[in-house]
Amino acid sequence: MMAWFHPGLIYIVGGPFIPLLKGRLKKAYLLLLPCLAFVNLLLMSKGVFLSNGKTWSLLFLGYNLVLGRIDPLSLIFAYVFVIASFCMILYALHIQDDGQHVAAYLYVGSTLGVVFSGDLITLFFFWEIMAWSALLLIWYRKTTAAYGAGFRYILVHFFGGACLLAGILIHVHTTGSISFEVFRWGAGWSWGNVACSLILIAFLINAAVPPFHAWLADAYPEATVTGAVFLTAFTTKSAVYVLIRGFPGLELLTWLGAIMAVYGVVFAVLENDIRRLLAYHIISQVGYMVAGVGMGVLGTAAGEMALNGSTAHAFCHILYKALLFMGAGAVLAVTGKSKLTELGGLYKSMPITFHLYMVGAYSISGFPLFNGFVSKTMVVEASGMWHRPVIYLMLEGAAIGTFLHTGLKLPWGVWFSKEKPACEAKEPPFNMLVAMGIMAFLCTLIGVYPKILYDILPYPVHYEPYSPILVVGMSQLLLFTFVAFWLLRKMLHGEPTISLDLDWFYRMAGRKVMWFCQEPLMTFARFVDRKVMDLVHYVVWFSRNPAEALSIKKEEILHQRLSEKREKYPGELPKMSVGASLLLILLFFWLYLILHLIWGS
Amino acid sequence: MFYGCLVLSILGGFFVRFYLHPHLFFSWQSLPIFAALYGFVGCVIIILGSKALGHFWLSKKEDYYETHLPKQRKES
Repeated sequence: MMAWFHPGLIYIVGGPFIPLLKGRLKKAYLLLLPCLAFVNLLLMSKGVFLSNGKTWSLLFLGYNLVLGRIDPLSLIFAYVFVIASFCMILYALHIQDDGQHVAAYLYVGSTLGVVFSGDLITLFFFWEIMAWSALLLIWYRKTTAAYGAGFRYILVHFFGGACLLAGILIHVHTTGSISFEVFRWGAGWSWGNVACSLILIAFLINAAVPPFHAWLADAYPEATVTGAVFLTAFTTKSAVYVLIRGFPGLELLTWLGAIMAVYGVVFAVLENDIRRLLAYHIISQVGYMVAGVGMGVLGTAAGEMALNGSTAHAFCHILYKALLFMGAGAVLAVTGKSKLTELGGLYKSMPITFHLYMVGAYSISGFPLFNGFVSKTMVVEASGMWHRPVIYLMLEGAAIGTFLHTGLKLPWGVWFSKEKPACEAKEPPFNMLVAMGIMAFLCTLIGVYPKILYDILPYPVHYEPYSPILVVGMSQLLLFTFVAFWLLRKMLHGEPTISLDLDWFYRMAGRKVMWFCQEPLMTFARFVDRKVMDLVHYVVWFSRNPAEALSIKKEEILHQRLSEKREKYPGELPKMSVGASLLLILLFFWLYLILHLIWGS
Repeated sequence: MFYGCLVLSILGGFFVRFYLHPHLFFSWQSLPIFAALYGFVGCVIIILGSKALGHFWLSKKEDYYETHLPKQRKES
């Protein structure tokens, strides 16, 4: 008897039944699945569904697949994924396209599969499903841009999946184990190090760490309104989860995280598309988490603070980023526009959406009393505990840019900045507002009462976010950011441009590959094709009667030679050497002499 | 009210620094208005720096990639 039921299977198995239902029953069913998964998680956390200690395993091809590794780290990620999926499906409840719902639940289910996987084979299996189901959420937008972005998305993730598989195979070959634990680097060159590097690259791609980040800002803004909300939560945060599992305390991650935190805000300044602007802030916010993983040296107080900070920030980020994308998606859904240059002055038409969006904006910016404050400051505090001044300043600087864009530039450009509305607008459907309301409530609840989050973090929390120095420092930082914004706000109007990112390289390389395929490669292919077909035709003709065919060929060759001779006739006369000519002349004289002697006398 | 908040945050900085004597990680935190300065200057640098980066290098017309695609793709 199955002692434990995988919460991911509730989504994966339950999803395909969605098209069989109609009307309210379908809506109730859509909301029921996350509720079932949540109950499952609650029972699981109380130890009801455990079969073998804290894992649930399955024998497969001689390996013990651990489909369920249940510990505080996997549980907290599972909690937030399930809670977010409920709000997200509520946001998408009015969507009639069942395929989107099925893809979304496949995506959620596979992410839960990644979170609970205790071995590398299970991890890879769900990792790949996650990539494909996310692709469907992009392609369901059914625009040319979405198809292109989707292709680029899946190609990048193919590369990541190939790296992961190669890394896993080498790792299993060198260690003989498939268990997914902390990866250890050895000294010098070894196959074990190659395996670790490949697996790390795969994780970094999904976490959108530069230089592997461009797929995110390219693809997410092209997804459907509701699909993009799902996309914000799962791929990058599951990547943060596996980084915490596999590479805690890796110094490289500290710097990559800090760089990506700043990188995202720099590009967000240039963005005109509101969902792309928010996508760059996913990169920036995941930077805090990655930096936290880098500082998360196990067994140290500062390391545990950093890992707690990464986990807490992933939890909070899923909530507020989904809320922000819901707000931006609501604007896109009712106006059909997502560019700052085409929006403005919508406050009177969409005041509720604005206020709910602003809760997300305050949260991501780290305002006290909102959830971003209680999680982001943990990572920054960890950088202080490690005495890393540059990392500290980079993370604080990224907080400035975050408030500047998501809290000021975007809402200013969409809901204000113009006296008259730039386009017709109204509040979005009720279910979208309710979903945003729940998200806003959760963001505020955790901000006001962080104990609810701190109690479920993987390590004991010895941190008080509402200390005077933190509250005053953050207030000064954000208030004076506003002052600078107000002075320079005219510079922050949207411009009808796009900004080049590192995807330029593979987009341009793709262009060259296309040209190479269409021109030289196709010419060569046609040549080979023609020759092969000639050969095939000849073999077919020859095989009908080989003896007769040989005879015909022989005659043809002879006939051809005869024709050639006839054509060439008389051909070139043989050239004689001087000696031969003299001999001929001598013979001629001899003949003349003989004739003369005979006839002349 | 906004100006009041600004003044309050600055006064709060002095209060925390000289009355509560909190544990500081870095020397610059001893400056009571460091966060305010960093917020203002950082915001200006982000705006000006990013805009310059976009103006001179990264910002392109919206149809940049469409105009650089191969012919066959463009037709499809």
